[in-house]
Amino acid sequence: MAPVSLHSVKKTYGDVQILHGIDVDIADGEFIVLVGPSGCGKSTLLRMIAGLETITKGDIRIGDRVVNDLEPKDRDIAMVFQNYALYPHMTVATNMGFSLEHRGASKAEIAERVKWAADILDLSHLLDRYPRQLSGGQRQRVAMGRAIVRNPQVFLFDEPLSNLDAKLRVVMRGEIKALHHRLGVTTVYVTHDQIEAMTMADRIVVMHAGKVEQIGAPLELYDRPANLFVAGFIGSPAMNILGGTIEGAEFKAAGVTLPLPAGVTATGAASYGIRPEHFQLSPEGLPAVVSLVEPMGSETQVTMTLGEHLVTGVFRERVAARPGETIHILPELAAVHLFDATTGQRIN
Amino acid sequence: MTDHSAAPNQKRPFWTIARKDAAAGFLFIAPQTLGIITFVLVPLGLVFYYSMHEWNVLASTFTFVGDANYQMLLRDPNLPPVLLASAIFSAGLVVLNLSLALLLAVLLDQKLKGIVVFRTLFFSPVVVSLVAWTIVWSFLLQANGGINGILAVFGIEGPNWLRTPTTAMISVVVVQVFKNVGLNMILFLAALQGVPKELYEAARVDGASPFKQFRRITLPMISPTILLTSIITIVGSLQVFAQIAILTKGGPGVSTTVLVYYLYQQAFQFNFFGYGSTLSILLFLIVAVLTFIQWQMRKRIVFYEN
Amino acid sequence: MRTDLSPRLRVALYGLMCVLLIPFVFPTWWMITSSVKPISDIFAFPPDLWPRRFDFSTYQRVFELQPFARQYWNSAYIAAIVTAGTMVVSSMAGYAFARIKFPFSNAIFMIVLLGLLIPSEVTIVPLFQMFLGWGMINTHWPLILVPIFGAPSVFATFVMRQFFIALPGELEEAARVDGLGRFKIFWTIALPLAKPALGAVAIFTFLHSWNLYLEPIVFLSSTQMFTLPQALTQFTDAYGGAMWNIQLAAATMTAIPVLLVFIVAQKQFVEGLAHTGLKG
Repeated sequence: MAPVSLHSVKKTYGDVQILHGIDVDIADGEFIVLVGPSGCGKSTLLRMIAGLETITKGDIRIGDRVVNDLEPKDRDIAMVFQNYALYPHMTVATNMGFSLEHRGASKAEIAERVKWAADILDLSHLLDRYPRQLSGGQRQRVAMGRAIVRNPQVFLFDEPLSNLDAKLRVVMRGEIKALHHRLGVTTVYVTHDQIEAMTMADRIVVMHAGKVEQIGAPLELYDRPANLFVAGFIGSPAMNILGGTIEGAEFKAAGVTLPLPAGVTATGAASYGIRPEHFQLSPEGLPAVVSLVEPMGSETQVTMTLGEHLVTGVFRERVAARPGETIHILPELAAVHLFDATTGQRIN
Repeated sequence: MTDHSAAPNQKRPFWTIARKDAAAGFLFIAPQTLGIITFVLVPLGLVFYYSMHEWNVLASTFTFVGDANYQMLLRDPNLPPVLLASAIFSAGLVVLNLSLALLLAVLLDQKLKGIVVFRTLFFSPVVVSLVAWTIVWSFLLQANGGINGILAVFGIEGPNWLRTPTTAMISVVVVQVFKNVGLNMILFLAALQGVPKELYEAARVDGASPFKQFRRITLPMISPTILLTSIITIVGSLQVFAQIAILTKGGPGVSTTVLVYYLYQQAFQFNFFGYGSTLSILLFLIVAVLTFIQWQMRKRIVFYEN
Repeated sequence: MRTDLSPRLRVALYGLMCVLLIPFVFPTWWMITSSVKPISDIFAFPPDLWPRRFDFSTYQRVFELQPFARQYWNSAYIAAIVTAGTMVVSSMAGYAFARIKFPFSNAIFMIVLLGLLIPSEVTIVPLFQMFLGWGMINTHWPLILVPIFGAPSVFATFVMRQFFIALPGELEEAARVDGLGRFKIFWTIALPLAKPALGAVAIFTFLHSWNLYLEPIVFLSSTQMFTLPQALTQFTDAYGGAMWNIQLAAATMTAIPVLLVFIVAQKQFVEGLAHTGLKG
């Protein structure tokens, strides 16, 4: 186990800059999730940590070694790939023991480690099968087994759950988390799914267009997004964001005036963010015209027009309104986010 | 923002990951690449060089003659009939081969019991030794051979196949078609089986007749394969040698003397190495031009490409 | 076009295919049966589909008239070496062109592909002179070296490259993480997975070498060195007339072993060819 630190890491392909200087310090044993929309550079960054991509500029350290020029095999890392990358012509046991075999481990040692990993992952009965004879979830577990047999310093996961169906994804999420809890190995996990990031990470690194937007614990990102991008990316359904101007203690948006929390000093153009669950139904609230009501059972999601803005609200109450009817809603002042109109940075 | 990344970028070893890999790449391609240089590119250069020389093997003289061999090429009275024979042979072969291959592939694509047996038999001449195959046909096509024997049973008097200019040409084409049509047949069959069934189902729902389905769906969908097989077949047809040498020796007259056979005669029977080299250049140019044309036609003919 | 066929159409299709089969199957049948006919029956009228008299001495005569066993061995060992050599050369080159990044790889690949464009007939004259200079005329070296390294192996390299391009990149990356270098990745991951493509290459290469005709008659001059295709044409009497039954006996011995191997392994043959990079 070892800490991983990325210092001003840059990547360019020809003239195209993919990563614009990434700084992240990952503590020993931490579970870090790199999340962002596709093309944001998160997979490239992971592959640079693995040694599968060269580093154009900057340093990557694993433990106290700069690993920039080391081969993947010399970095003491293990990786789980998106399509599992199981060797089709080898059995599960051979797949899992393959890396040990190439590091000169004895047969007995390999057998022992494979058995250990198979027991943890409930694969013992599948060791003689070939990958093509396994289900998606089983392949996923074999890929993880292959990663843990070697006891590496760092685990790297590249969108490992994206090929599984929704139900299995939830199960495997739990298994990976439990495995991390049990082994305590530093883990870097890449996903585009912010729910995966929220549920699994100790800390999340939100990336966008080759830059880090924010690093923090999941709820920290949820409660205090540092900028508009993070605000919009984390959370589902997404935060409502209304453009307008701050005028004294009020926020003037198109067709509607919203109350502001106390202590806002900024003035002028800004964006007003409020999460769907932070609207309350209240007879003294602002009028909103309902366009769609989606009852989920435990809560109700309502799409409505507030002033000239389409907003989403999620209510614990069951809302009986029909499309076209008007309901009255009120934002929770403590949960209002304000962002600078030009830079997109948080200002409250 | 100031750039702090001037940070310690230690001295890198010369053998970086990328360089090691590139070295491995060069090592992997070395045998093939050196082989191509030695056995294709150098000889190609030499062919040009020889073609500008008069080479007398018996007197062992080798003199520069400039474009004299090319002048001779233009005046060679044998050349027009040789080129005509080559053209007839190649055209006949390609048309017959591709249409027969397509017909057989469509037949083999049907849901019939024992279809694999038919596939195996249609393909079998491909694996029969070329010379053995040609010898049997030569035997069959003799004036008193098997084919005329069978025809005579039905009261038909067959021609002396290999000694009459027209039938000699037909014979060499047909022998070659039956020998190799199995290859194209298999490629077409694979292409047919690669056409998504939904397309036919959609067409049937739309009310297209089987013939229309074939024209509007099958042909466009397999057009890349048609192009590929036609290139392979044409280039292959220009290389035909053993069949001519065994069946007709280019005769009667020069009616089946295709370019390769003429080249062989000039260079290795008459020892005209200089002129033979000039003919090689001509062959090379023809292959290059044909390939280029077919490559260009790809844009117009191939409706669909993945 | 695969729809369920009516019984009538079924019969018609079987009939059509049987008729079409005649020119594909009859020559082989005629070759085998005529090879055991005495010379006097060979042009009998009406033709005998089954020999009316058997004369197996033709097979003995083959070995008396020519050093046929030796020639058989020549063809067999040359084809074996060429097949093995081509598999090595083309799988390595195909792999590198498909999967390794190195400078000028595309340009070099284009140059190598030229080999497909240049029929060996074009370069036969200078090749003859080169091998003459190296003292290799009337040896088997030209028949071994040129196919393995020269133009004929380019097709194999192309097939292998097409296969390796389709191999998922993640497998190699996993292997790198697992601690393998390039050579080991090639040997333990890429090559074992390439068995179908290698099989097709082996079949093609073997047949090509086994059928080679122009090259042997250009490069070889003594009967001891001849290969089978060349030897088959040598069974003539003092007047240059063909000794048909003996020639056909030799042809049968040349054709039948390969044909038998094909019939046993026809699935691998046909599907190997169909599914290897050659599809459009």
